[in-house]
Amino acid sequence: MSQLHRLCLLFICCFCGGLAFSQGVTLPDVHHVELENGVVFILHEKRDVPLIGIEAIIRGGAVTDPAGKAGLSSLLASLLEKGAGDRDAATFAEAVDAVGGSLSASADLEAITISGEFLSRDAELMIELLTDMLQRPALNAAEMKKLRDRRINLIRAAKDSDPRPLVPVYGSAFLFGEHPYGTAVDGNEESLAKITHRDLSGYYSDFVGADRLIIALAGDFDAAAMADSLTVAFGDWRPAEQPLPEVEAPATQEARRVLLVDKPGATQSYFWIGNVGVSINFPQRAELDIANTLFGGRFTSLLVDELRTKAGLTYSARSILLRPARAGSVAIVSYTKTDTTVVAIDLALSLLAKIREEGFSDDMILSGKNYILGQYPPQLETAAQLAGQFAELEALGLDASFIDDYGAAVAGASGEDVRSVITDVYPPVDNLVFVILGDAELIREDVAKFGPITEIAITEPRFRP
Amino acid sequence: MAIFAELRRRNVLKVALLYAVASWLIDWFVGAIQSEVTVPVWTETFVYFVLAVGFPVALLFAWTYEITPAGLKKAADVDQTQSIVFKTGQKLNAAVAVLLVLGVLAVFGQRLLPTFEFLVPGVPEGDAPMSSRVPADIRSLTLDNGLRIIVWPDHDIPNVAMYNFVRAGGRNEYPGITGLSHFFEHMMFLGTENLAPGEFDSTMEAAGGANNAYTSADVTVYMDWFPRSALETIFEIEADRFQNLVTVTDSFQSEREVVYSERRSRIDDNNFWKLAEQVQATAFVAHPYQFTVIGWPSDIEAWTEEDLARYYQTYYAPNNRTIVITGDVTTGEIFALAEKHFAPIPAQDPPPAIRTVEPEQLGERRIVVEASAQTPLLHMAFHAGSASSAETLPMRLLLNILAGGESARLHRSLVEDEDLVLSVDTYQDEGFDPGLVFFFLTLPPGGDPDVVEARMLEELRRVAEDGVSEAELAKARNIILADFWRGLSTINGKAAAIGQYEVFHGNYESLFNLPDALAAVTADDLRNAAAEVFRRKNMTVGVLQEPGAEEVE
Repeated sequence: MSQLHRLCLLFICCFCGGLAFSQGVTLPDVHHVELENGVVFILHEKRDVPLIGIEAIIRGGAVTDPAGKAGLSSLLASLLEKGAGDRDAATFAEAVDAVGGSLSASADLEAITISGEFLSRDAELMIELLTDMLQRPALNAAEMKKLRDRRINLIRAAKDSDPRPLVPVYGSAFLFGEHPYGTAVDGNEESLAKITHRDLSGYYSDFVGADRLIIALAGDFDAAAMADSLTVAFGDWRPAEQPLPEVEAPATQEARRVLLVDKPGATQSYFWIGNVGVSINFPQRAELDIANTLFGGRFTSLLVDELRTKAGLTYSARSILLRPARAGSVAIVSYTKTDTTVVAIDLALSLLAKIREEGFSDDMILSGKNYILGQYPPQLETAAQLAGQFAELEALGLDASFIDDYGAAVAGASGEDVRSVITDVYPPVDNLVFVILGDAELIREDVAKFGPITEIAITEPRFRP
Repeated sequence: MAIFAELRRRNVLKVALLYAVASWLIDWFVGAIQSEVTVPVWTETFVYFVLAVGFPVALLFAWTYEITPAGLKKAADVDQTQSIVFKTGQKLNAAVAVLLVLGVLAVFGQRLLPTFEFLVPGVPEGDAPMSSRVPADIRSLTLDNGLRIIVWPDHDIPNVAMYNFVRAGGRNEYPGITGLSHFFEHMMFLGTENLAPGEFDSTMEAAGGANNAYTSADVTVYMDWFPRSALETIFEIEADRFQNLVTVTDSFQSEREVVYSERRSRIDDNNFWKLAEQVQATAFVAHPYQFTVIGWPSDIEAWTEEDLARYYQTYYAPNNRTIVITGDVTTGEIFALAEKHFAPIPAQDPPPAIRTVEPEQLGERRIVVEASAQTPLLHMAFHAGSASSAETLPMRLLLNILAGGESARLHRSLVEDEDLVLSVDTYQDEGFDPGLVFFFLTLPPGGDPDVVEARMLEELRRVAEDGVSEAELAKARNIILADFWRGLSTINGKAAAIGQYEVFHGNYESLFNLPDALAAVTADDLRNAAAEVFRRKNMTVGVLQEPGAEEVE
């Protein structure tokens, strides 16, 4: 810094009467184009490395799966890669891999997402493949059957593996029940087996179309030229035939109930304890993020500190917020060796009661704010991350202020608001849904104290009774 | 106008001028000091703050008080006829003039005057890269105690990634202390002579930083990700735990339980690792790569505090470590911080070399793991090279062609066309000593491991005899090259990649040779690597299935 600059800074400080560092992240300007048929493009030039990140979102997702056919949108997403345009499944995969690109489709609760990254020299190919996937997928019946059967067996394989990723799936299924948010996104063994090729092609015309497509690109390209070629590619595409269903806000659960998932021979019990939480539009997002960071969102959070660092009961404990368009879930997840199952769950419950009663000190709140702000910039560092963020905001009907104003909201959150958000969002200990996955024979009697038990074997072909 | 005249009369304007000139001089002085000696990063901000707060205070003081022969009095109380404000004004003028002259002399005559360099050694500049392929702003430095530091500035985001590589891992263990390297990774968070257990993390997180660590068979790596503003704090607490760790602690027993819990979830309740651990232990008969990195249960229960103390002194010495820092930093400030915080840590005797060389395998090895399983597993492992072996890069390309994605050979044949397996994945050890190449296959319920193994051997024989096509090679090159660029698009990826090459290839600059090295590999190199490695005599096969599944056949 030059002497002059420093001197100027000195006197600027003088008139501001103090030091305020701007710590937020601001989204860069973008080209935002909306075609007549409803397709939205968001384009951002970022030329530091010769890569282009792409994210295309079709709004809808698992909440549009028909009753009893959970996993249909997810299966369709994967099938989009299994041949499109003039390419069969093998040639399509070859075309992506040959240039070192990536392009893969998956579903979540409220969208089908196609994410990819290509070297900038392959931009034309990337647009061609994306266009084919969306507008001219082969939806080949033999590929569909193969994929469906493999999916069923991969769920069985997952049940033989690390239980940790499965527990939240049981959690959502048991908490939300028949509500669309209870849908297992990738389906279950039973629902997948019922899906026919006719279901799949029907779903494609009903729920995939221009009126719900968002394409975001960030990286090394010319935005004007890219907008032109995307307009040529997508300008004439048809809309989807069915409207997106309205999802009702799920009701908060009263009282307690327990799902015991029996995995004979398990050495630990894996638990998920939660209730209905909030939506992405929850107005006090910053306060809630601070609260969750301090409760179970970082290494020195209360849950990790008490369950792991002090008691040695577990390797990991977290509190997790899922915030879709309507109220999602708020849950504690952890695990412990079989004979400390009750001790660990009791401790987790006492911590939940504690934060509802006492909240967090102002010192801790400041620490939480610094942590959130300090860890934020790397989340929007690459072209692919930016493309993902642009597309998600658009899909949720949010604008750049969702990101741009976040830093200031975190920095400015008051201790009182953080404390009041805790009692609003985290459930009282009497109203909780429990999932406990472990060796049922060894824990069945002991965990009965947490509430009325429903038991299923892990090998049962679904995630709820 | 009356107020302005009164401001002049009470010398408020002159005080303001004097304050400005003095501030300029103080600011210059702070700047000069900073470039010579290490002061905390917040010094400059702090000085600005004090000066800024002081400015209105000084003006108010000048307005309110007046210097009289009898001392300081409230201006309002001074008899105007007795006032000496004019004299005070002259003194202020003189002071401004003197400071200005001093300032001009100092700033413009800086080179003529003695500097601090006589008292304090300058900050080392570090070594620039030798190769023109390497980004020119990278600098490396080896401190006198042997600690090596590499810095790659990148000002895209206001954050920093710091990777601390310790050359200690599973290969430095022996029966009785298996898993100790990994357990030590946990101990590094449990308190020092200056910080209570947990305080390392709470200090880091309160400053906006986050961290993690991992242990492999070769190294233990500590990673910090933090905003630039936390730089000094991170250096302080990192230097502290590498120098003053407490290895006798109340947390010892409970942390043992934490690691045991980690083992149960990763391995004991997870069929994949249950099998992989056994295959690893079977493939090696002599070399310590046979030990599971997390440790055998009986050793987890039995490590002693003495084991830890010895381990710390030997392996955590500066001469056994390498630090990589990327992000919003300058090389100068990092080397200054390193000199201040890391240079005082004494070097130690180098750790004992690993003498054992795994003898040539004399015939194929097979194991069966019985476990409750809906889906049987088949793992195949072959002895291959180390990170620095010439055949390692050809093997990386070859594995990519065989199982690197949707269009890879084994995926197309075994998964898509023949429906024999649900998935096929590969992994290649790239460590200090020769390691293994693995194939991991998940079978559908009722799948026959013998059939799958036979097909695998057929495919491996085919590639060893016929090699690969130029198109396949070009594709694999592109995939690896794209991964390379993707890795370098974040400060975290940069730090990881630089460290990996510095530690395992002995020179971070070789990272940037990768594009050329990939281009130089030929299809013949791949066929030769396949023929050398994919031999039955060199193979260990592991199957995981339900108890009794074999008898049913």
